[in-house]
Amino acid sequence: MPKITLNDQVYEVEKGKTIIQVADEVGIHIPRYCYHPDIGVEGSCRMCLVEVEKLPKLVPSCATPIADGMVVRTNTERVGQAVRYAMEFLLLHHPIDCPVCDQSGECWLQDYYMAYAQHDSRYPLGEKTRRRKAFNLGPAVKLDQERCILCTRCVRFTRNVTHTNEIQVLNRGHKAEIGIFEDAPLTNPYSINVVDVCPVGALTSSDFRFKVRSWFLQGTNSVCGGCSTGCNLRIDHSARAIGGGIPGYTASDGKIYRTVGRRNVAVNKSWLCDEGRLCFHTLEKWPRLVTAVAGGQPTTTADALPIIHSRFDAIRKEHGDNAVAALASATNTNEALFLMKRYFKDRVDFRIGKETERYQVMQDDLLRRLDKHPNTQGAIDLGLAGDLNGLQGLLAAAERKEIRGLWISFHPQLVDADALEAIDRLQRLIDALEFSVISTTHDFDWCRKASVILPMAAWSEEKGTYTNYARRVQITARAVMPPGDAVPLHVMMVELLSLAGVQVTKDPGAIFEWLGREVPLYHALDYDTIGPLGAAPAGRAQDIKEVLR
Amino acid sequence: MTPVKGGYAVDVPVINVSERARRENASVLSTFKAFGVTFRRMITSVFKGDMPTISYPEEQRPYSQRFRGTHILTVRDDGSLKCVACYMCATICPAECIYIEAGEHPNPEIEKFPRRFDIDMMRCIYCGFCVDACPEEAIIMSREHHQAVYNRGETIYTIEKLMQRAGIDEKGPGYRPNDPFAEAKIFDPEKNKECPIPSGVDERHPAVLYESQINKRH
Repeated sequence: MPKITLNDQVYEVEKGKTIIQVADEVGIHIPRYCYHPDIGVEGSCRMCLVEVEKLPKLVPSCATPIADGMVVRTNTERVGQAVRYAMEFLLLHHPIDCPVCDQSGECWLQDYYMAYAQHDSRYPLGEKTRRRKAFNLGPAVKLDQERCILCTRCVRFTRNVTHTNEIQVLNRGHKAEIGIFEDAPLTNPYSINVVDVCPVGALTSSDFRFKVRSWFLQGTNSVCGGCSTGCNLRIDHSARAIGGGIPGYTASDGKIYRTVGRRNVAVNKSWLCDEGRLCFHTLEKWPRLVTAVAGGQPTTTADALPIIHSRFDAIRKEHGDNAVAALASATNTNEALFLMKRYFKDRVDFRIGKETERYQVMQDDLLRRLDKHPNTQGAIDLGLAGDLNGLQGLLAAAERKEIRGLWISFHPQLVDADALEAIDRLQRLIDALEFSVISTTHDFDWCRKASVILPMAAWSEEKGTYTNYARRVQITARAVMPPGDAVPLHVMMVELLSLAGVQVTKDPGAIFEWLGREVPLYHALDYDTIGPLGAAPAGRAQDIKEVLR
Repeated sequence: MTPVKGGYAVDVPVINVSERARRENASVLSTFKAFGVTFRRMITSVFKGDMPTISYPEEQRPYSQRFRGTHILTVRDDGSLKCVACYMCATICPAECIYIEAGEHPNPEIEKFPRRFDIDMMRCIYCGFCVDACPEEAIIMSREHHQAVYNRGETIYTIEKLMQRAGIDEKGPGYRPNDPFAEAKIFDPEKNKECPIPSGVDERHPAVLYESQINKRH
């Protein structure tokens, strides 16, 4: 392996890497606009110039492969001056309208100006070139050509990642600008990723634009709940009440404003599909259920759970253990499913459609999968795809009066609508049952027929783990608080188990450790080893170790 | 100051109260002296008009030109709101009393305008930071400070209330540090009867609201 010297420190690195990749790995930051690890090298911004010994000129570190014995310096005066000059050119025609620019606060021009340039512009403010603003590239993305620095990240994204080639550089020289052909707007299902990769305020998402300033936001690392791929994302939500105490207007501490792709090379690189990115809007589509309802009367979850437990107990005593079962959702966390399996004595299923057949089938060639549930693999691993035969089997058993008491956990699909026939079957199932409990996130009309309805925390409101299609266990975090009386499903199960005489902590991390002891596949996993990027269970981890050896 | 036990010795004039009281004690003369003072003040105030007090609130003392009173939202030449909803004021506000909702302005050069701009006057501490932070001089302060209302809801000033010329006609504008450089104007209902309304905007637009309020008043 070649050895290179980076800022007087010797590193042994893999062959074939570029200088900027090595610097990223060892934690030396080289400024860059056009280079992005997942869309390849362009070399147009001239920000990543570094000094290499024995080379007469500075070289762009994004496009220079390392060689044995290379001596690279990123912190010399010559490099600093080159970066300063590059910044001056990039900012030459940039309208300094940061207060109205939506990127402000997370703009790479602002960051690098403060870190590397701090020059005074030599160009008169009134003579800057004016270009097209608020130009619709497609239904989801708007372009401001004045703010563009022509790094062509968006162009290369549509060329190299989605292969749709919608965004192009039009014209040449000082007339060059980003644009689309009139009959080919940016309509691909991954279009909002260009907003993520844009380092400046040129590309903005129509959905997020002007909603909130970036410095009011707080990021929480989580996992998308839109399909079985389990893309890593960051949920940006309100960090504090904006607008103080203005009654009725105050944004509470629980509003999600956007989600941004989080880099995980093993799952989604840096990308998210548009459906998954905007899936948090699905939670706002229907009114949320905020109080428990028992027999048509509003009550609290704490009051309802003992009643539920005693009813289930009575049914078990009268008709045997098999008369009580549960239908979970593949959007519930592993922790909740595990505790559910405990309480219902393995009589749990989760299939309401064709999840198990489709969860590994790709919808296109990039990220999306046909099964729109994040935790189908986790439910299978916990052994929930058993002989209850899903919703259809439960319905048949309920109509034969083999099953009399049932807990249904219903979380609507975040992407696409739930199948109408599944809803229809659920209604028939409730009608056929003697005692039915539904824990649901939203106040659906068809749920009202059930004996007890309990408000449940939705995706982004509970902490837990999802196992994606490739059996990678990842942590989904709580970004906002659930509304009203709603609690996560695993908390309800903890209460029920304690009524049944099993004391369990409500901490999802501790529950997962118990799960790891019981389920051999998840042995040796805990929240620390899973970490922000997820981890494969031991079986696969061993494979990886062997490969490395 | 010389340090002594228990602190510092400071040269302070010492008044012997008991001595002074004994001197003025039981003197009829001093009583009449006091009557004299009262009588003299009466003569000067009644005949010469030299009053130490004013009959507030009919009369008011002049305030400083930098007085920080009720906020005013300024307008452009065409009478539309100057604010571009950049949230600088809401960001700097130490009392967190400003609430803004931005909308897309039909003119892409302007980009944004506030669909809603509310100040909770009960929370506001009148520090004037919002005026300092504003890059457009869209918000200034007046010398008006009377804000008595009949219910708490009215203390939340919305756009239409903030565009009103809070006491400007009588008292003139207040804190406005960038005055010579700004082109901001204060809304004049006489000159700007026809307010250009950005298309595709709901009836909450300030211009619409202000018009409707003027109509309501007449």
